[in-house]
Amino acid sequence: MKSLKEIQDEFQRGILAGDDAILADVNDSGKEGRKVLFGVYRYGYVARLGEILGEDYEQVHAYLGDRAFANLVKAYIAGNPSDQRSVRWFGRHMAAFIAKSRTFAEHPEVAELATLEKALADAFDGPDAEPLRLAELAEVAPEAWPGLVFTPHPTAIRLTFATNAAEIWSALKNETAPPTPAKLPEPQALLVWREGFVAHFKPLSTEEAMMWDEAAKGVRFSVLCEMVATFAGEDEAELRAASYLKGWIDLGMLTSFVVLPCPDGAQTLS
Amino acid sequence: MITEKPPYLGFGLGLRPQHYQEILDGNPAIDWFEIISENYMIEGGQPLYMLDQVRERYPIVMHGVSMSIASTAPFDMDYLRALKALAKRLEPKWISDHLCWTGVHGVNLHDLLPIPYTHEALAHVVDRVNYVQDFLGRPFTIENVSSYVTFAQSEMSEWEFVNELARRTGCWLLFDVNNVYVSAFNHGFSSIDFLNGMPRDQVVQFHVAGHSHEETHIIDTHDHPVCDEVWDFYREAVAYFGPVSTMIERDDNIPPLAELVDELNHARSIAGEVLGTAADAPRLVAAE
Repeated sequence: MKSLKEIQDEFQRGILAGDDAILADVNDSGKEGRKVLFGVYRYGYVARLGEILGEDYEQVHAYLGDRAFANLVKAYIAGNPSDQRSVRWFGRHMAAFIAKSRTFAEHPEVAELATLEKALADAFDGPDAEPLRLAELAEVAPEAWPGLVFTPHPTAIRLTFATNAAEIWSALKNETAPPTPAKLPEPQALLVWREGFVAHFKPLSTEEAMMWDEAAKGVRFSVLCEMVATFAGEDEAELRAASYLKGWIDLGMLTSFVVLPCPDGAQTLS
Repeated sequence: MITEKPPYLGFGLGLRPQHYQEILDGNPAIDWFEIISENYMIEGGQPLYMLDQVRERYPIVMHGVSMSIASTAPFDMDYLRALKALAKRLEPKWISDHLCWTGVHGVNLHDLLPIPYTHEALAHVVDRVNYVQDFLGRPFTIENVSSYVTFAQSEMSEWEFVNELARRTGCWLLFDVNNVYVSAFNHGFSSIDFLNGMPRDQVVQFHVAGHSHEETHIIDTHDHPVCDEVWDFYREAVAYFGPVSTMIERDDNIPPLAELVDELNHARSIAGEVLGTAADAPRLVAAE
């Protein structure tokens, strides 16, 4: 008699690979043949995961239309058996899968659309953290400002897109016609994060993105100001840096700060 | 190790995101909620916040779909640790999963797959249930699944298997009324034989649900209202077991909360007819 292990191996191959060996181990019912009955598991596997991918990648679905999305989903399911305890993470490789697919070689916006949808989903149920309030920063003495180091919200994800996928996403979300896909003259920086219970994204200017990336690495505020000055000119560099900072705090993108002592000779803020 | 039998909770629903706000705003007449454990094995955000809010007002039970208790693959220890951590946060009245396997070789097929009812499988599942109970420090609760195939290798009926599993491990049972009905139809056994084969004292919960009838077989889709035949069988189950915490299980085509409360009230009225006042559970204080 076959062992439980042998039966489970066969059963799984029957679902994943269409192997019919398992049919020798299961019975016809009085009303239906075993192939149809086992087919409930085969069909159920593809249908269930397809439904999940449709929920996870709603705008990719809307963008591609039913037929192309169904083909994508079918190929993804065939190539990516789940190793996750929850279907929540089954579709996590979708953007990479699309990026490697020859079908979408001429449409890089599709993979970026999937990247954005996944980032929003990850931000939605990512870690909780109280956002930093402006009032907390107001208590910092002016002479301590150069040493400020900020902590981004733990749900924050930085993306850089080569196409107008973010604009396409917004149009689809609003159920309006998406713009023609296009490669952008300059890469577009985006920040995805959760504010309250809602996941958002915000386009960042190249300068703001540079400052965010450096701030997220733990670079102190005086150095951030120097970098901003180097990036786009010294004129009002500190004001620009302070303005970005205020925007991040207003939108709940930061959670805390520490004040590090400034090294000797470090620039002080005017 | 907790050993006492969990309390009778009355009539509950599965907690679904579509109903979070209505539950918190309206304080509807629902005695308790069951959660899908895996849906809350996340780091933060609205789902966990809402769950904590509901937990402050209602008793919670945890119901999993990925333990794969009957799998021949090793346990996913990260999963068990996450389950235990969630149980610590929620202090559920009990924790359940299905008598099934969900995959081998590191794969999760995200389905509740059947097993052959053999002595080998029984010994294997007994060992695994004992392991889980030791790990969680409390009795585990096992639910019968709907199935579409039976195995040529089976050496006993499903109810003999379940009965022996409960006897050897002391686990509690979640008797899914719909699943028995579905499997009885699919495999041509008597649902009453299944019922009469159950140990009366081990059952702590009922699931009642809808399904999809495909003429030659029934698929357990949980996307329809409960049909009359399942309600009739529920009536038999209540008569056999006495008061058992009852839940309407809807996983797809989620209707407005009021519709599910109506179905729940139908269950209440059936239990009331069969048992008289014994079915009236006092509204429990969740934070006890």
